[in-house]
Amino acid sequence: MQNISRIGLVLVAPALALVALLFLYPLGYSLLAAFTREGALSLDHFAKAIELYSTDILFTLVMVILATILIAIVSIAIAGAITLSETPWLVTALKALYRWPLFIPFIVAAQCMRTFLAKNGLMNNTFVSLGLIEPLQATSFLDWRGIVATFVWKQAPFVALLLAGAMASLDRATIEAARNLGASRLRLLFEIVLPQVGRTLMVALVLSFVTMLSVLSVPMMVAGSQPTMITVDMAFRINAYGDYAVANALGVISYAMTAVAAWFYLRHNLREDRA
Amino acid sequence: MQRADVYAPRGLALTLETAGAWLLALIWIAPLAYAVWTAFHPQEFSTRFVWNAPLTLENFSRVLEAAPFGRYMVNTFVYVSFVLACQLVLCTLAAYGFARYDFFGAGVAFALVLVQLMIMPDVLIVENYRTMTKLDLVDTAPGIALPYAASAFGVFLLRQTFKSVPKELDDAARVEGASPLQTLWRVYIPLAKPVYIAYALVSISHHWNNFLWPLIVTNSVEARPLTVGLQIFAGVDQGIDWSVICTATLISAAPLLVAFLLFQRQFVQSFMRAGIR
Repeated sequence: MQNISRIGLVLVAPALALVALLFLYPLGYSLLAAFTREGALSLDHFAKAIELYSTDILFTLVMVILATILIAIVSIAIAGAITLSETPWLVTALKALYRWPLFIPFIVAAQCMRTFLAKNGLMNNTFVSLGLIEPLQATSFLDWRGIVATFVWKQAPFVALLLAGAMASLDRATIEAARNLGASRLRLLFEIVLPQVGRTLMVALVLSFVTMLSVLSVPMMVAGSQPTMITVDMAFRINAYGDYAVANALGVISYAMTAVAAWFYLRHNLREDRA
Repeated sequence: MQRADVYAPRGLALTLETAGAWLLALIWIAPLAYAVWTAFHPQEFSTRFVWNAPLTLENFSRVLEAAPFGRYMVNTFVYVSFVLACQLVLCTLAAYGFARYDFFGAGVAFALVLVQLMIMPDVLIVENYRTMTKLDLVDTAPGIALPYAASAFGVFLLRQTFKSVPKELDDAARVEGASPLQTLWRVYIPLAKPVYIAYALVSISHHWNNFLWPLIVTNSVEARPLTVGLQIFAGVDQGIDWSVICTATLISAAPLLVAFLLFQRQFVQSFMRAGIR
């Protein structure tokens, strides 16, 4: 048994060493930098971060939550249509199209959206040429709407891919049984299919939530003006002032947001494991 | 076929479904289609659609002159391959250890991995940069790759997969005299092949996309990946030239898009089989 225990530890050791060096050590150091001032415990950096960036912190949270909700809706619609639709060409078209953004880098997606959603971008020009709006009515979407649109466009395929995979591996018998009893497709989706893939949806959404919190390129390129997201503020504190303490405090606030997502996920997982 | 006839939508439902699908499809593909349109047409057609506008490759030559994209492409390929190789080795070993062995502190160690899953390395850039400076790895491919080498997602995903492998197979391999590493190599890894493909897809896509950490840790053309190279076209000081921006965008995304087109069947089947939870 002791031999077996040692083998387990040896197998895990290289990964743990890297986690310790490049995760625990910097995490501990950044917590220390955020919570101390001149060697003594202090909340001064948090006070400064909140004083300067409380709007941005709230803005970040709202953006990411809103994007996560929209991603859930879009991905459920896509995965549900692929799994339950009886129109073959629709399934083929959706399958062919929805995954493309998965392979586009965030910075490239931001570039695409920047050119597409600008006041003189293709979207407005198309609306003008179709006669839907007057040229003077054209407005730029390069603000919070641009950020949310880019996040949804980029992350929904990831969630939809995992969700469609989970839905495809479900036992078709229950779906067919409900269908034979006359259940509509919406009812099938929400009462039969979704409850069985809830865990996959939750994992994919939590991963998307965490990913979006750490993205710098989208808020920086799509919506440069205030308010903006925490990552932009962190970069600004470091680049403009060399202020690592406040940047670390903002980082800790960002961990707190991800910790909430992690707590939801773990609680859900533990509950399912107990059941 | 008979099932499709019975349940196929009719009348208003069919119209709504068709309209909804077309709308979604157009919205989804529009930004990318716009990038393709602008890249292959002269600058004056960059924000207006004229069906008979002349085609040109001039934007590509302008972009390739403005930045060493070939070098950036090689750098990105080296860095992404290095990350993936490290991840596959480290995550496989760790996942096997967590899934099949009971050792002192296993619970705490796995909890640490889970915590890492929730905190992206990007928010630790300040301290990681200092570590890389101490290790003299700034502006190198290992310097870009190391923070992502022990991927929590990879360990978690593979552990779940290895746990689902019947214990009897493991026991049978041991009875035959296989060592733990041989058991891992001959039993677990072949059974987890779809998960490895799915994971590789996510990893390659993520690291090809990575921007913030490479931006911080590289400062020369010799190490800079595509995403960081692309940033020079985003500067407002150059004026906004949509044609150049879209062309550079397309060049950056092209390798992944081509790979996706070539291997999409395998990718999707892997995700279907992986059953990620």
